[in-house]
Amino acid sequence: MDLRLTEDQEMFKKVAADFVQAEAPTTMLTQQFLKKETFLPDLYAKIAGLGWLGMLMPEQYGGAGLSYLDCGVVFEELGRAPVPGPVFSSGVLAAQMVHDGGSDAQKQELLPAICGGEAIVIPAIGDHGAHWGPETVATTCSQSGDTLTLQGTKRHVYDAEGATAFLCAVRGGDGGVSVVLVDRNAPGVTVTPHNGFMVSVSEVSFDGVEVPAGNLIGAAGAGWALFDQAAERAIPILCAYKVGACQEIYEFTVRYTNERRAFGQLIGRFQRVQDHCVELSIHMDRARMATYETLWELDEGMPAEAGIHESKAAASEGYHQACSYSHMVHAGPGTDYLHPLMVHSVLAHTLYQYLGTPDYHKRRMVDALYPGA
Amino acid sequence: MDFNLQEDSPEMTEFRKEVRAWMEENMKGSEHLRWSASWSTRENEEEYSFRRGLGEKLGKKGWLFPMFPEEYGGAGLSVNHQFVLETELSRYGLNLTHVFYTLARIVAPVLIHWGTEEQKLEFLPPIARGEIVVWQVLTEPQSGSDVANCQTKAIRDGDDYIVNGQKVMVGHHLPPDALWALVCTDPDGKRHENLSWLHIPANLPGITIQHMHLMMGIKNAVFFDNVRVPAKYLIGGENNGWKVANTHLELEHGGDGRVGTDPVVDRVVEYCRNHEVGGKPLIDDPHVRDIIGDMILEINTVNRMNRRIFWHRFVKEPHAYGGAQFRYYQRMVRLRNGERLQKIMGADALIPDHGVHEVLDFEYVIRSGPGQLHGGGTLDTDRLIFARRAGIGRQTKEKAPDTV
Repeated sequence: MDLRLTEDQEMFKKVAADFVQAEAPTTMLTQQFLKKETFLPDLYAKIAGLGWLGMLMPEQYGGAGLSYLDCGVVFEELGRAPVPGPVFSSGVLAAQMVHDGGSDAQKQELLPAICGGEAIVIPAIGDHGAHWGPETVATTCSQSGDTLTLQGTKRHVYDAEGATAFLCAVRGGDGGVSVVLVDRNAPGVTVTPHNGFMVSVSEVSFDGVEVPAGNLIGAAGAGWALFDQAAERAIPILCAYKVGACQEIYEFTVRYTNERRAFGQLIGRFQRVQDHCVELSIHMDRARMATYETLWELDEGMPAEAGIHESKAAASEGYHQACSYSHMVHAGPGTDYLHPLMVHSVLAHTLYQYLGTPDYHKRRMVDALYPGA
Repeated sequence: MDFNLQEDSPEMTEFRKEVRAWMEENMKGSEHLRWSASWSTRENEEEYSFRRGLGEKLGKKGWLFPMFPEEYGGAGLSVNHQFVLETELSRYGLNLTHVFYTLARIVAPVLIHWGTEEQKLEFLPPIARGEIVVWQVLTEPQSGSDVANCQTKAIRDGDDYIVNGQKVMVGHHLPPDALWALVCTDPDGKRHENLSWLHIPANLPGITIQHMHLMMGIKNAVFFDNVRVPAKYLIGGENNGWKVANTHLELEHGGDGRVGTDPVVDRVVEYCRNHEVGGKPLIDDPHVRDIIGDMILEINTVNRMNRRIFWHRFVKEPHAYGGAQFRYYQRMVRLRNGERLQKIMGADALIPDHGVHEVLDFEYVIRSGPGQLHGGGTLDTDRLIFARRAGIGRQTKEKAPDTV
């Protein structure tokens, strides 16, 4: 047992932390989140330049071929900002889907472009807001000759705004789910950003969109399995991002208890304020411990399914709760959109839903440990 | 990072083989007594003698406190040996510090830190070898969490201290050999500067021990009536007791860590597989599965916190707030699990099952839920300590003391 990072990981961490400070300072992010402009092409290009897209991908496809723990360490720092943009959704999740399901030609064409940041490929999976799972794939796909025609609306697509292409989950005539690569500029594709207590989420419509049959990624009818397998690889990296966010919230919350005075003393002297910090720390640490153990399991090639879903539940719930407890400590000032807590609060609610809620993942964890009848 | 508790260097592989074989040999015929709790609430004589025996056998090899020097009853081994021993014992649901129902786990490390050479040589070997039972006696009728409000007086008289007062809610159902007591040595002194620690042989005249029947099982009241304790049994210097308490309380407040796991989820699942309602096993009920999911998440967190504290402790970088955080969380989890068990198995959960060890017994889990919320200080003291360690509302963060 050893809970220390390696020297290389300490270096990755420092480079990422310095990058966040220089390129994504809080003052900038609060403005961007307030305006709901969270896709920042210049920032994304710099991230690509640092090699943080496709960190898990093999070098032959333009990736960095790093370990899960290495990648997690970087994403934790990105989460502290939190750096917005499709670093995870394209650079980790979509890359993994293409890697796992794509033909050699598709991999050669797509992966280097994803890793270089020229292609931003965004998974568009469920059609509905409520619920998660294969049953939420409703967009239809009919084939005529060599052409597939897509019809449907993906209600909530995370990071759709900057997309150059989508990995769209569709339902074929036989009821099976498949994944199809759809160009963002194909006629019939419409991206409408949502407003509300969420960020970086758009509705994406596919209205009679025609794509060549060769755009199928993986076998027809095997789309959910492809997505699910890739998601299981990718999710712990997203969890590390949320852990970083929790860490940042914890630190600025503790700092605030040492600055803000009320009733003639620092608010941190009040035991009820202290209690909020205790709860915050528990949510942060439980997400952190589950996530890093899972990243390690993946690196070791150990069975990690239960840990993956546990981490997602703990990290989504943890991020959400960290914000809630921080709000209790900050009171009024924490509700100002120019306060960093608001950036996190909005994102925490968004990511609570992204790729399945904590309840969904808890069930997956129990299913992995104790398969039902 | 490496979360593997079982991967060793070649030298440790050999040691692990030795320990594993030794444990197999010594657990033979007693496999049903495998789980350890801090204390037994069932006054189970078979279990008690087995655990005392196992403690003594481990102690004879110096394995109860493997990192202690041999002259103090340890084995002079490394932290890696400690890990091996702990992980091998945890295969039986046991751990070194709880193996034989005494508070040696706290008292011995405090003695190592604060005892004089002479005291260490006299007191440590029998404790570390598991030969004697030591109780810590801190709580008094008027001082629970506020342990510094100690009213038991120890007044110097020649070569002795004369002890008068009362301790409550200590020990277990069988008598101790020694009492590790916080006493007030300067009744007119300032708070925190008037306390000392005494190592009191339990057979001294004037000591009366009386059972108390509590929610968690049998505990005791200990009365001191003009008990003469040799002054050489004062540990850590007169009126220096609050500093000594720092080491002591860190260990009591979750700073010791452990590598074992809580077996209750597996038993819940087993129950739910074997019990059918309307022809369907409970384990297929989605509501039950959701409750089990919540239990797993929380128990895994408790286990991970425990391992993290253990690791930090033994690499001598004690985790600042880990102990207090763990202790608060673990007790709340236990309380919540009590309610969850009732939700899953209804009134069945309130009937003791003497066919299993109490650690696995649902009734025990439920009954000890509220009962263990305050042992060694309330949830509120845990959170207070957390605040000090994490620097909430204060510029300086209090450090965790070294307890190895």
